[in-house]
Amino acid sequence: MKSTLKNPAVYIMFVLPTLVLYGLFFLYPMFSSVYFAFTDYNGLDATEYVGLDNFKNAFSDTNFRTAIINNMYFIVFSVGIQVPVIIIFALLISNVKRLKGFYKTTVFMPSILSTSVIGILWQFIYDPDIGPITDFLGWFGIDPIYWLAESEWAMVAILITNAWQWVGFYIVLILAAILAIPKDIDEAAAIDGANARQRAWYLTVPLIKPIISVVVMLSIAGAMRVVDIVLVMTNGGPYGSTEVMASYMVNKAMKYGEYGYGTALALIIFAFALVLTFIYQRTFGRTERIEY
Amino acid sequence: MTRSLKNSVPHVVLLIYVAIILFPFVFVLFSSLKTDNVEISQSPFGFPTELNFQNYSDAWVKAKIGTYFFNSAYLAVTSAVVGVLLAAATAFAITRMKFSVSSKLIYGIVLIAMLIPGNVLFIAQYKLVDVLGILNTHWSLFLPYTAGALPFSVLLVAAFMKSIPGELEEAAIMDGLGAAGLFFKIILPLTVPALVTVFIINFLGNWNEYLLSYFFISTDSLRTLPTGMVGFRDAYQTNYALISTGIVFSVVPVLLLYSVLQKQIIEGLTAGSLKG
Amino acid sequence: MNRKLTLALTTALAMSTLLAACGNNNNSSEPSKAAESSAPPASESASPSAEPSKEAEPFTVSLRHIQIGDAQKFRKAILDDVVKKTEAEVPGLKFELDGVEDAANRFTKLPAEMAAGNQPKIFDLFGGNADALKYAKAGRLLDLTPILDELGIKDKFLNVFGQFTLDGKIYGLPIGGSVEGVFYNTELFSQNGLNPPTTWDDLIKAADALKGKGITPFAMGSQAAWVPNMLVNTIIGRYTNGFPNGIVTGEVKWNQPEVVAAYDLYSDWVGKGYFTKGELGKSYDDMLNDFAAGKAGMMFDGSWRSSAFKEGAVAASMAGKVGFVALPALPNAAGDQTSLNANYSNGYGFSSDLNDQELAAVKGFIKNLYSDEMQLRGLLEDGVLPSMKLSDESLAKVTDPVVKQVLDVMKAAGTTFVHFDAIAQKAVYSETELQLQKLIDGKASGQQVGDAIQKLQEAENAKTK
Repeated sequence: MKSTLKNPAVYIMFVLPTLVLYGLFFLYPMFSSVYFAFTDYNGLDATEYVGLDNFKNAFSDTNFRTAIINNMYFIVFSVGIQVPVIIIFALLISNVKRLKGFYKTTVFMPSILSTSVIGILWQFIYDPDIGPITDFLGWFGIDPIYWLAESEWAMVAILITNAWQWVGFYIVLILAAILAIPKDIDEAAAIDGANARQRAWYLTVPLIKPIISVVVMLSIAGAMRVVDIVLVMTNGGPYGSTEVMASYMVNKAMKYGEYGYGTALALIIFAFALVLTFIYQRTFGRTERIEY
Repeated sequence: MTRSLKNSVPHVVLLIYVAIILFPFVFVLFSSLKTDNVEISQSPFGFPTELNFQNYSDAWVKAKIGTYFFNSAYLAVTSAVVGVLLAAATAFAITRMKFSVSSKLIYGIVLIAMLIPGNVLFIAQYKLVDVLGILNTHWSLFLPYTAGALPFSVLLVAAFMKSIPGELEEAAIMDGLGAAGLFFKIILPLTVPALVTVFIINFLGNWNEYLLSYFFISTDSLRTLPTGMVGFRDAYQTNYALISTGIVFSVVPVLLLYSVLQKQIIEGLTAGSLKG
Repeated sequence: MNRKLTLALTTALAMSTLLAACGNNNNSSEPSKAAESSAPPASESASPSAEPSKEAEPFTVSLRHIQIGDAQKFRKAILDDVVKKTEAEVPGLKFELDGVEDAANRFTKLPAEMAAGNQPKIFDLFGGNADALKYAKAGRLLDLTPILDELGIKDKFLNVFGQFTLDGKIYGLPIGGSVEGVFYNTELFSQNGLNPPTTWDDLIKAADALKGKGITPFAMGSQAAWVPNMLVNTIIGRYTNGFPNGIVTGEVKWNQPEVVAAYDLYSDWVGKGYFTKGELGKSYDDMLNDFAAGKAGMMFDGSWRSSAFKEGAVAASMAGKVGFVALPALPNAAGDQTSLNANYSNGYGFSSDLNDQELAAVKGFIKNLYSDEMQLRGLLEDGVLPSMKLSDESLAKVTDPVVKQVLDVMKAAGTTFVHFDAIAQKAVYSETELQLQKLIDGKASGQQVGDAIQKLQEAENAKTK
């Protein structure tokens, strides 16, 4: 009877397909990346071992440096600007009595759409000739801004689009946590004479700290992963000023055939992600769970 | 008076935000019904002077949106379903079967994958599907989509299965059910909420996937919606009315689905990211 | 136990059928290809198309083209006819057409496919070191010399194989040729009392006058930098002897004073507002639209654009109002001032891994596309200069006013030179794009641009030695 759950054949049958796919699409690529990163593999010519050249080149590659900085912009923008906005909107929605459901479903909507379609859509919005933003700015007497054409604005334009897509998602995440707080705590504070703003800041925000910490982590992870929106909206342009690490890696490999160099960049991105995870665990991640 | 004013301030702020969210959709919808760029540029905010549905038939024919849509739909569904089933089977084996050492090992290996950012393995996976001889076929998307969803799905479903009380399966085994029967008849039905969550996450992830599908697929008739739309944009880059129509085509079905299943989708996605 | 075994077996069976299905579904042509090539019957390879008696097995041949969108519809119509004709001639053949935007195909898709070795069987191909010659060296391209001999059409081509020839073998067939020059809006010019831009003085005078009237002198779309690079290429050619061939031999340096002067000139024009505002965000199609809408008086573009101004074309409103001249002679410049940028750089290449059926399809395709009829249609319908010799009476059929001017410009040219994208290595070429965009954005001077490109050029030249 018990043998049913101890039968190795059954066990293997249940885990094997997963392990095969996992080995094929995670482990093997991981190991082959490590191998290719030390070669000048380009798909066309004979492959040679080049030692640490790819890594040395990466760190003196000014275009890659721009890409790293742009990823940092993404992190700073999404953690420093988006997260506070997200918290404020979540608090606002949690406090209104009517239309709560409407707000929730509407703000969440952009996050289910394809990033590439959103990229195309916003290219149109930003178009200096026929896009609505130009018209809108025109009402205030502001000259058209060539959003995606000027290196000063292109990154901002992408960040705004990215925020448009994801802010609602995080609002709903935090909203769920706020609504899970037992009502009586809030009511008790109200009876004690605390106004809504005080209750939000001194009561709700401390209680949802763990979820805020999760949102911060997800934002950082999202900022490290970003690539589609850049490829679709600017493809790194103008002149590489909007390139992020992943798009630069993809372009190096696919456009220029520098697969060896590209995989070296991939490993560097991986290392970055590990370091950020570590830093996060040491700082925000330490927030303890709060019991009500 | 002041009280009602006070109450309406959050609504005003929120409605502005809602307007910002909705505006691009309305703008694209209006633009898709306008004749050309001139009409759009003259009044970007205006309602089309006369409803021009020509763009819709043009876009449908020129962009093969129907084909892209079908490709995306069936790839997203099949790989999400297979991913969910494989993940559930593995989760069952490592949480309910009595092989604690190897289960811990498998769990650990799967956990490591969560640390790897999605795009890092892109180049190596490109080489892999090339070596497997499946480049430019739907297998080159189906397999990585399925595989890519596994680590997270296994962790989530395993966490859920751990909470199922052991008495249930003991009784089932008493009744003479084998491991497979136990899995399909007892555990799977109990795990449905977690499976739905995992399915929704995987489905939307696959549906929206761009990078792999752009580089792994070269044949137009095999393209998925995200890449098909980018190709369409490249071809008609200055015909904004037509491109708007393409966007409407690709967005509306998702929005319809969302309006029906919004509760499940929101819960699925948020629960997914919290437990992951 | 028994039940478990059955389950294990059925699962194993299911898995293997799934895998088998994988294998089959991948590439419906794959198994037949393996069977074909493993034992090719000699008779069949000789003339496969001459066997209609045998029930032909259906097969598909992938064909990558760049004729997408409305601006390319004439070229696409010709391609469609060739495809139809070839399908009718070769039993069982079905072409699988795949349209990809030009730059996306040339700079992203095709390179990735070439590296993986899964390029389409027939594909749009550019000549030169960064494209055709690179792929030919890696053995990806079909040697077309025997096919040209077999079809007896080698001598019908003009002297156009330069950018497609490696070690005496031909690896690509240019579909036609083009020259790059100045299109101008004759209506705008006469309204403003301007002379056609045939001399440098008139060109500058016209630019300043248009600028003064709030009309952009030159439409420009620099989002993809190959567009402004056309003008840069010609200006450098006018300033510099030995350009562009000298860049790989080291005789010409990107940072020598002549080349820098060319970049400075471009930068100067940007500063004077000669180009469309926000050009870095403007696409190639935007450039045509701005010119066609009368927002700009001139544009520097390839002669292939002439077909846009025909009846029924995207910029038909301009029919009869477009003039075409070579960039006028630059004062005080060292290069040959009658020299014209002319290219036979775009055409079709073919994969080296063809089975006999596919080879037959390729031969049929070449025979039908590279014919007097299609070459003439290309010239008349699409304004593409023929890459093959056409009779005088055929040439006399040209009625399109712009194409006539293009032919005149070609006749007047002293010598021609190719675009540097056919000479420079890929990394160098992309650096020129990046640096030019920087220059346009005011972030780099001509000297900085030249230095940056030259640095990379030397590194690349050292690699090939």
